[in-house]
Amino acid sequence: MASVSASHLILFIASMMIAASVAGVFTNSIGQLSGAISEQGLDVSSDVRTDIEIISDSGSDAIYDSAGNGNITLYVKNTGSEDLAVDTGQLDVFVDGAFVSDFEITRADGSGSWRPGTVVRIEISRPLSPGDHRVQVTVNGDEEVFEFRT
Amino acid sequence: MGFSVSGSAALVFVAAFIGLGMFYTATANTFENINDARDSQAERSLERTNTAISLTDVTYNQTANSLNLTLVNDGSTELGISSIDVLANNSYLTGYRTAAGGDEATDLWLPEERLVVNATGVTQDPGRVTVVTGHGISATETTTVVS
Repeated sequence: MASVSASHLILFIASMMIAASVAGVFTNSIGQLSGAISEQGLDVSSDVRTDIEIISDSGSDAIYDSAGNGNITLYVKNTGSEDLAVDTGQLDVFVDGAFVSDFEITRADGSGSWRPGTVVRIEISRPLSPGDHRVQVTVNGDEEVFEFRT
Repeated sequence: MGFSVSGSAALVFVAAFIGLGMFYTATANTFENINDARDSQAERSLERTNTAISLTDVTYNQTANSLNLTLVNDGSTELGISSIDVLANNSYLTGYRTAAGGDEATDLWLPEERLVVNATGVTQDPGRVTVVTGHGISATETTTVVS
C-alpha cells in the first residue's frame, strides 16, 4: 500500500507541475497579447485623433522660392485633437512622388509642441522646374496633398 | 488520481480566469480609447461642416502700411479668434489686432458676427490674403489698395 501512495504522490506532483507550466505559459501569452492590443489601440486612437490641413494659398506666387533659396514653403495646421512633435521624424514629405528628407519644420505662431489649432512652417529644399507640382505630407497616416504651379 | 485531476484542473481554471481578466481589461481599454477618438473625430467633422466664413473686404493701406480685413462668420458654430491664421501671400502674419462685433477683448467669433482684423507693419501690398479657421476652413481674397 505504501508503494501505491508513493506512486500517487509522484503522479500528483507531476500533474501539478505540468498544470502549473501550462498555466504559466497561458497567462504569459495572454499578458503579451493584452499588451500588444493595448499598444495597437493607442496607435489607432492616435491615428484617428490626428488631422492636419495644408493651409498655404496655392494661388500665391510665394509657395516656391519666396526667399530666393529654392525652397518650397508650406504652412500646415494641426486640425485634430492630438499633440504632435515639431520634428522632421513626425512627417513624411513627398514632392512630385519623390520622398524628400531635406526639409525643416518650425512653429509659425510661437514655440513648443505642435498643439491642436497651431501651425508649423515646412521649408522643403527641392529645386523645381516651371509647371505643376504636388506635395504630399503624411502625419500618423493622415495624408494631405497640396498642388501648386511654379 | 482524483486529487491530481482536480488540482491540475483548478490550476488551469485559475490561470484561465486571470488570463481572461487581463484580456478583458486590455480590450475594454482599447475599445474605449478608440471610441473616444472616433467621437472626437465626429465632433470635429460636425463643427467643420457647420463652419463657413467669408472675406468681405481686404484693404491694404500703403500710407499706413496696414492690412485691414473684414470677415463674416456665415456658419452656425462659434469660432475661436486665437485659432485663426492669416496668410498674406503665403507669409504667416502674427501680432495683428482683432475685434469681433466691435469687441477687441473677446476670443469668440459668433455666427453672423463681423470680425475685423488689423495688421500693421505690412510694408508692401501682399496681393492676396488667406484666412483659416481653427478647423481648417479657409477664405481667400485679393487686396484692394488704398492710400
